[in-house]
Amino acid sequence: MVRYSASTLDRTFAALSDPTRREILDRLAQGPATLGELRRPFDMTLPGLMKHVRVLEAAQLVVTEKKGRTRECRLGADPLDDAAQWIETSRRRWERRLDRLESYLERRKGAST
Amino acid sequence: VSNDLRLERVYDAAPEIVFDAFTDSEAQKELYADAPDWVVESACDLRVGGRWTISFGPPNGPPARETSVFTVVDRPRRLGYVATMTMPDGTGFDTDLEVTFEEESPGRTRLTIVQRGFPTTGLRDEIAGGWPSILEGLGRVVAARAAGPHRP
Repeated sequence: MVRYSASTLDRTFAALSDPTRREILDRLAQGPATLGELRRPFDMTLPGLMKHVRVLEAAQLVVTEKKGRTRECRLGADPLDDAAQWIETSRRRWERRLDRLESYLERRKGAST
Repeated sequence: VSNDLRLERVYDAAPEIVFDAFTDSEAQKELYADAPDWVVESACDLRVGGRWTISFGPPNGPPARETSVFTVVDRPRRLGYVATMTMPDGTGFDTDLEVTFEEESPGRTRLTIVQRGFPTTGLRDEIAGGWPSILEGLGRVVAARAAGPHRP
């Protein structure tokens, strides 16, 4: 029933825990970019940027491909789907719990009046 | 301020090993291939005035090509060349490269690449993005050769 794996989720959420990496993903959501293009809005050295890209790559959130002398990055969306599914499953579980709590409180209220 | 690019790496190998891995045709696949099926062809006439042509890319696509002419060949210390690199959109530009192989201590080499003359900072950044995987590939070749008998 649970399609996603715990280690994939760990990597996904760890990768998303950094604001720069989230900004990189926001940028790539607009379309593929080379490392040079990605670096432009950030005040960061290339090794610094590469480190973030590698974390995103390891989490399969980003796919990179060499094109000639340059390297192009684009989104690899599957792990985000898994994370979204995990959040949705958790949300439903909490909703069911809150519904049960609500009906319990309603019953208590009815019993005490 | 300038459009120069400077890269440095330290490898646990003698300068001769790093120098040879940087230039010999056998090593170039490890440096330039993004995937095992990539086709990498290198022909290197290692002498001043000699030409170094390299093409690399996936088997089903047009390869990237670059042509260089050596201006300094001082094995295993220094290499100078003028490179014409082609971008994915087909445009080309020339840069001057100076590569030094400095023995920091026995069996340890500092590689310094200075690439000068980029027409724009944008192009410099694009090329800067491609170098790390090449230098990592060089690291793999050098580590393998430093561990085993070196056959140039």
